Amino acid sequence: MPEELNTIELQDVTFSYDDTDEVSDKSARKALDGISVRIERGSYTAILGSNGSGKSTLAKIIDILEVPDSGKVIFFGKDASDDELFWDIRANCCCVFQNPDNQIVGTIVEEDVAFGPENLGVPNPELRERVDQALKDVGLYKYRHREITALSGGQKQKLAIAGALAMRPDVLILDEATAMLDPSSRDDFLKLVESVRLRKKLTLITITHDMTEALRCDRIIIMNKGKVAVEGRPEEIFLREDLWQYGLKRPVKFNFAFEIARLTGEALREEDLKSDEVLISRLTEMLRKPGIKAPEINRITNKKSADQEPIMTIKDLSYTYDGGDAKAIENVNLEIRKGEVLGIVGESGCGKTTLISHLNAIFRPMEGDVIIHTKDGNLFCSNKKDTVKIRQKVGLVFQYPEYQLFEETVYKDIAYGLKMMKVRKEEQDKLVREAASSVGLTDKELDASPFELSGGQKRRVAMAGVLAMKPEILVLDEPASGLDPRGRQEMFKIIKGLSENGTTIVLVSHNMDEAAVNCDRICLIESGKVKCAGTPEEVFEQGNAERMGIQRPRIARFSALLRTELKRSIPEIRFENVEFVPESEAAAIVRAVSKAGVTDAE
Amino acid sequence: MLSKISLGRYYPAHSFLHDTDPRVKTILYFAYLVAIFIIKEPIAIGVLGAIIILQLILAKITPGILWSTVKPMMPLALFIFVINVFTITEGDVIFSWRFISITEYGISRAVIMAIRLILLIISTSILLTLTTTPLKMSDALEKLFAPLQIIKVPVHEMAMMMSIALRFIPTLTGETDKIMKAQQSRGANYDTGSFINKIKGYITVLIPLFVSSFRRADELAVAMDARCYRGGKGRTKLNPLRLTLRDVLAGIMFFLLAVLVVVIDFSLR
Repeated sequence: MPEELNTIELQDVTFSYDDTDEVSDKSARKALDGISVRIERGSYTAILGSNGSGKSTLAKIIDILEVPDSGKVIFFGKDASDDELFWDIRANCCCVFQNPDNQIVGTIVEEDVAFGPENLGVPNPELRERVDQALKDVGLYKYRHREITALSGGQKQKLAIAGALAMRPDVLILDEATAMLDPSSRDDFLKLVESVRLRKKLTLITITHDMTEALRCDRIIIMNKGKVAVEGRPEEIFLREDLWQYGLKRPVKFNFAFEIARLTGEALREEDLKSDEVLISRLTEMLRKPGIKAPEINRITNKKSADQEPIMTIKDLSYTYDGGDAKAIENVNLEIRKGEVLGIVGESGCGKTTLISHLNAIFRPMEGDVIIHTKDGNLFCSNKKDTVKIRQKVGLVFQYPEYQLFEETVYKDIAYGLKMMKVRKEEQDKLVREAASSVGLTDKELDASPFELSGGQKRRVAMAGVLAMKPEILVLDEPASGLDPRGRQEMFKIIKGLSENGTTIVLVSHNMDEAAVNCDRICLIESGKVKCAGTPEEVFEQGNAERMGIQRPRIARFSALLRTELKRSIPEIRFENVEFVPESEAAAIVRAVSKAGVTDAE
Repeated sequence: MLSKISLGRYYPAHSFLHDTDPRVKTILYFAYLVAIFIIKEPIAIGVLGAIIILQLILAKITPGILWSTVKPMMPLALFIFVINVFTITEGDVIFSWRFISITEYGISRAVIMAIRLILLIISTSILLTLTTTPLKMSDALEKLFAPLQIIKVPVHEMAMMMSIALRFIPTLTGETDKIMKAQQSRGANYDTGSFINKIKGYITVLIPLFVSSFRRADELAVAMDARCYRGGKGRTKLNPLRLTLRDVLAGIMFFLLAVLVVVIDFSLR
């Protein structure tokens, strides 16, 4: 059957991890629960779903890294339960995983690429040719003798792709392979994978939390609790109103488009979502309809104004790592104002983490200083005697804080800092419970072992551990990384709640869209220097962004297209805000159109 | 701070010693190990030092890199020096106070012991870690110990384990550094306080480090599985070890030099 030879088919597959020791009461839960999926040869499929919905397990079943408890897997006509075909299938299907460091075996680039084909027993002239070709395909050939540790995160993921390509597979599975990359290396990586896919006619399956990334595929499968909840073309999927129940949401530009449709009382159809051009012209058509009511723009009032007093001053701060020749950060001057949410954005390796490590004296300033202004006078990070006080005033939560938990119970873990500060027992109890409730942890969870909780909950525990110390300034390094869209939104809600209670927040992020919406001010770091700082409107203003070479938020880029189109078709339109308004861009546009008073006379 | 420890790290370069067959280097390493342990005479140590300097040049290792490998071991060298100074009581006494007596002989012995330790570290670095990638080293050990397979020693697996351990040293030191920073910002203190408190402080680092190592091990195992790893059987090599005439000659020459050092040492006793 030719058709059978061209599909990967899962029939009624059930699978559960037998980790009774890890999660005692959840052990019976099935990771996959009677799932049936068909994937065509040469297709490009995205698998979406919340954390723990079984996406990664599905990938492992396809690559026979796990054997189903029941059900059948037919891989291009080969039955995966056949022991003879087992290695055949595995060699034909390659996986690239999330963490670059945990999938690289070699120390040198070409050694690692060779690992797969060496296992297949590819003989030598061909082996060399495969390795070189794979490295050329991903553009790493000139780095073939480099040490792995000298590569950036994006390069490491490309190396993982090369390692897969050298096995000459038909199927490539990306299991959240872009999750740890910053936006520009993410784009770069996806473009590479897509071009390789077309050239080599690969079947590509990508597991992701990034909805804009899912939009690039031909087909989307949404998983929920080990089952396929929905499947279809991206346009079909993102038209649905029920994505939220699967922990997902629409890509930012669709959110924006749907908001405009709502405000104009129109509806978007599936065919409108085909491409940016179609969507823009459809939106313009909607907006040109006469008699659109101008929506009220609730000016977000909690935007902190510029005249707030500073709570922290970073002065001429520079830092060079031991043995490094370049400065990791150079001459940074920045003022953090009381009660604001300050976003620090920039690409990986730009010095963000080095900078924030100074804010609570984990790194002592080499040149310059960090000064914290308190009621009882100034504290200086350069002064060793102030360290304890500073660590209490400034809470710092690093990226993936869930990996730092160590106590037997969540309660003890949260209380650790207080214990070290020698806070009285009763006081400790009060602070721990307050901190736990501010991140949404229940009393039941306080008695659990932190290692039993899900990834998102662990992260909250780690945050609570810092919050218990009642810091006035909270520094968060990528607090939402690795979470599904719902988890991200919840995290930002927590942060907003903290901010409303008067905590000053410094938020490190490489997601420009989230920074634009959630921050009062943004500071852009490039190669260790402050490139520009200001409100999101100022920083992402088109002219400024172009001058500075800043990647604008996706929504700003999309709405700029719409604004241009509107200006062309409605010459009398005037936008109140010259530039995009992060939280209420859709309303701002509808309002402008309504003010211009379009008549359908033309 | 921790990430700067280059113990066990490979230094990518093209040099005579980088290109030398790792099996030859491994055998030479054991020869020098024995030589370092046997010799006692300052002149022999001096000759050995000269040979090691020659090797450093042949490996294109700069003083900076050399220092970064030796530096972390300096406290140990100092410790050995001090212990020897205070425990050896033979010879002419230079200084004595109550039960402590320092002798000329003691100092000279202590210096020799410390220098021997440093030479040991240097020769491990130049012959093995700095000039040989972990995978090549595991290839070499696999080949050298292949005869043990007859008595069912899992040589390939052991060699693989070793190379993965070396590959993960920089990753785990980086991780330790991160965890320490994070715990410090939660109030942990590793610099001051009593000895017991410091040890307790390190528990906050070790537990997360273990947990994360297991997680990494799991993920790596899956990744290796996905890349069709199934032990040493039927594996081919991108750069198979090839013993050239040059390797053999270099091996013989350096081996003879090691013997020469031992002979000098014995003749001086």
